[in-house]
Amino acid sequence: MDSSVHLDNVVMNFGDFTAVQKTDLKIESGEFFSFLGPSGCGKTTILNMISGFLEPSKGVVKIGGKSMAGVPANKRPTSMIFQNLALFPLMTVAENIEFGLEVRGVSKAERKKTSDRLLELVALEGSGSKKPDELSGGQKQRIAIARALAVEPQVLLLDEPLSALDLKLRQHMRTELKEIQRKTGITFIYITHDQGEALTMSDRVAVMSAGKLQQVADPITLYREPQTSFVASFVGENNPITGVVDAIDGNLVTLNCGVLGKFTGRGIGTISKGQSATLFIRPELLKLGQTGDMSFTARIAEVNFEGSYLTLTALLNQQHAISVQIGAEQYTADLIPDAEIQLSFASQDAVVIAGEGNV
Amino acid sequence: MFKQLKARFGSSLSVGIIAIIGIWLIGMVILPQLIMVDYSFRPNLLPSEIGTDKDTYSLNNYETLFGNSIHLSIFAKTIWSSVLVTILTLVVSYPLAFYLAKVATPGQAALCILLLIIPFWINEILRTFSWYIILAYKGPLNALLLALGLIDRPVRFLSGDGGVMVGMVYAYILFMIFPIYNAIESLDSNQVKAARNLGAGWIRTHYRVIIPHAKPGIATGCIMTFMLAAGSYAVPALLGSPGSRWFTQIIYNWFFEGGDWNQGAAYAFLLLLICIGFIALVMRVFKVGLGDIAR
Ligand SMILES: Nc1ncnc2c1ncn2[C@@H]1O[C@H](COP(=O)(O)OP(=O)(O)OP(=O)(O)O)[C@@H](O)[C@H]1O
Ligand SMILES: [Mg+2]
Repeated sequence: MDSSVHLDNVVMNFGDFTAVQKTDLKIESGEFFSFLGPSGCGKTTILNMISGFLEPSKGVVKIGGKSMAGVPANKRPTSMIFQNLALFPLMTVAENIEFGLEVRGVSKAERKKTSDRLLELVALEGSGSKKPDELSGGQKQRIAIARALAVEPQVLLLDEPLSALDLKLRQHMRTELKEIQRKTGITFIYITHDQGEALTMSDRVAVMSAGKLQQVADPITLYREPQTSFVASFVGENNPITGVVDAIDGNLVTLNCGVLGKFTGRGIGTISKGQSATLFIRPELLKLGQTGDMSFTARIAEVNFEGSYLTLTALLNQQHAISVQIGAEQYTADLIPDAEIQLSFASQDAVVIAGEGNV
Repeated sequence: MFKQLKARFGSSLSVGIIAIIGIWLIGMVILPQLIMVDYSFRPNLLPSEIGTDKDTYSLNNYETLFGNSIHLSIFAKTIWSSVLVTILTLVVSYPLAFYLAKVATPGQAALCILLLIIPFWINEILRTFSWYIILAYKGPLNALLLALGLIDRPVRFLSGDGGVMVGMVYAYILFMIFPIYNAIESLDSNQVKAARNLGAGWIRTHYRVIIPHAKPGIATGCIMTFMLAAGSYAVPALLGSPGSRWFTQIIYNWFFEGGDWNQGAAYAFLLLLICIGFIALVMRVFKVGLGDIAR
C-alpha cells in the first residue's frame, strides 16, 4: 500500500506570522522520517497539517498520492502520538487502545483481541484493566503507541514522544520504536529536537529552522555534508572559523581568517572569492600532531575526561576557542591547561559554507 | 482551625471571629430551621391554646398533602417540570459552555460571558417580568412571528407551563453554564484532538471524552438548577397561569393566606426531602459521587 506523504508546496501562516515557509517534501512509504529543529521552528505545525488539525494556508498535503484537502482529521489514515500523550484518563488502558476500533464499529471480541495483541507488542500484557494514572511514564508512552497502532494507520505521527522520559528509558524506547516500525512497515514521521534521537533512528532527517527546511538527507550525509551553516552547527558538535575567501582550487576553498591564519576545507554550494565564509571542522576530526595537511598550534584551556574520550578546549591565538575530541588512549601527562599543542586536520574533512556562520 | 486563626490574629480576636461565625450559623441558619421543623409537627392553634393539652406532636400536617389530590398533583408536576427545566437548561447551556471553553478565543469568551452576566445585574423580578412582556399575547415575540409569517394568529405562551419553563431556563442558565464551563475548560485540548485523530466524529468525541470529563460540572449545574427551579416562587407567580401553579405557591398560600405556618412548614420540608431524595437517586443512576461534585 502506498503510504507516502507529500507536502506539496505547503505554507502555513498564522495571521502575519509564517510558521512554515514554502515546503515541498516527499516522505516515502515505510520510511522512518524525522523532523529535527529547535523549539518553535514549526515541527508540530507540520504534523498538525498532516493529521488534519490545521489546513495549510497554501499547497496541499497528499497521503498515498491522494489530496487531503478538505478531509477532516477523523477521516485521515494517520494516527498521532501527542507531545503529552493525551491518554484518556477516565478510560482503562484497554478502552484507550480500543477507542479507535470502537469508533470504527469493530465488535467487542475483535477489539479485545487487538488490544491483547498490542499490549503484548508493547510488553504490557495484563495491564488492560488499569487506568492510565496507575502506570509509569514509560508504560504510558507504550500505551500511547499501542493506541495509535490499533487503528492500523498508514502513517504514524510522533510528536517528541520520548521527551518526557529519562535517558535510559528513552534509549530503550528508541530501539522499541524502531523495532515496531520494522515489524509494521508503517511510515513513521518523527519529531524531535534531540539530534541523537533523529540520527540513530531515522532513514532520513529534515533539519528545520524558523519554519524553513534547511536540509533533507540521511543521517550520515547530514553529519558529513551539511549544506547550511545552521545544519553544520545544529547537528553534532562543530568548530566554526570565519574568514574571507582567499583562493578556490577545485572543490577546496581557502579562507583568510586574519590573525588566526589560513584554513582550507571543502567548499559547499556556490562560493566566490572575496566573500565571507565559515569553515566547520568537527572536534573528532581534529588530530594531535601533524597528521593532516592543515596544521596549527593552540594553547589548552581545559581538559575534560568523558570516559572513552577526552574533550580539550584549546585557544587559537589566545582568543578563538575550539574543541578537540581525542580517544582516551591518546592521553598523555603533558595535556594540561596552558600547554602548547600541535593540532591538524585534513582539509577534505572540513567544510566551508558561505556566510558569517552565525545562525 | 482555632490554632491557625490564633497564629494569625491573636487569641482575643480569634475568639471574637469564632463567636460571630457561631452566632451567625446557629442563630441565623440552624435555629430558624429547627423552629420550622418543630412547627411542622404541631397543630395550628390560636395563641391562647399554645402550650395546652392540644399542643401535641403529630404527623398530621405531613399527612394533609397525601390526602389532597390537587396538592399532590401540583407537587408531582412541580418535580416533573423542574426536571424538564433542568434538562432544557442543560441542552441550552452545554453547547454554549463548550463554545466558551474550547472554541472561542479569549476575547470572544470574555465578551460572551459579560453579555451573559449583564442581565443578571437586574433584579430577578424585573428580569422575569420582561419575559412576561416578551411572551404576552400582544407582545413582541408574537408580533415578530406574525411578521415573519410563521404563525397565523398570536400564541398564548403564558397560559400553560411554557412561559414558566422559558422564564426558569433563562433565570438559572448561569448556574448551569459556569460549572460546565469550568469542567470543560480543565479538559486538555489534546484529548479532543486525540479522539478526532483516532477517527471519532463530533458526537462520539463529546459522548466518550468531553462529557465524561465534564460530568461533575454537569451534575453540579443540574443539581443547582433543579433545586432553584423546584423552589422558585417569582417565576411561576409572574409567568404562570392559574392552571400552572407551582408547589411553592401552595406553601406560600399556607403561610400568608391560610395563616397556617405549621402546615406550610410541613409542605416545605416535604419538598426539600423529596428533592434531596430525588437528587440522590439521580446521582446514583448516573454514577456521580459527592466527591466528584466537590472536585
Ligand atoms: N495556533 C497558532 N496560532 C499562532 N501561532 C502559532 C499557532 N501554533 C503555533 N504557532 C507558532 O508557530 C511557531 C511554530 O510552532 P510549533 O508548535 O510548530 O513549534 P515546534 O517546532 O513544535 O516547537 P516545540 O519543539 O517547542 O514543540 C511558533 O512560533 C508558534 O508560536
Ligand atoms: Mg512541538
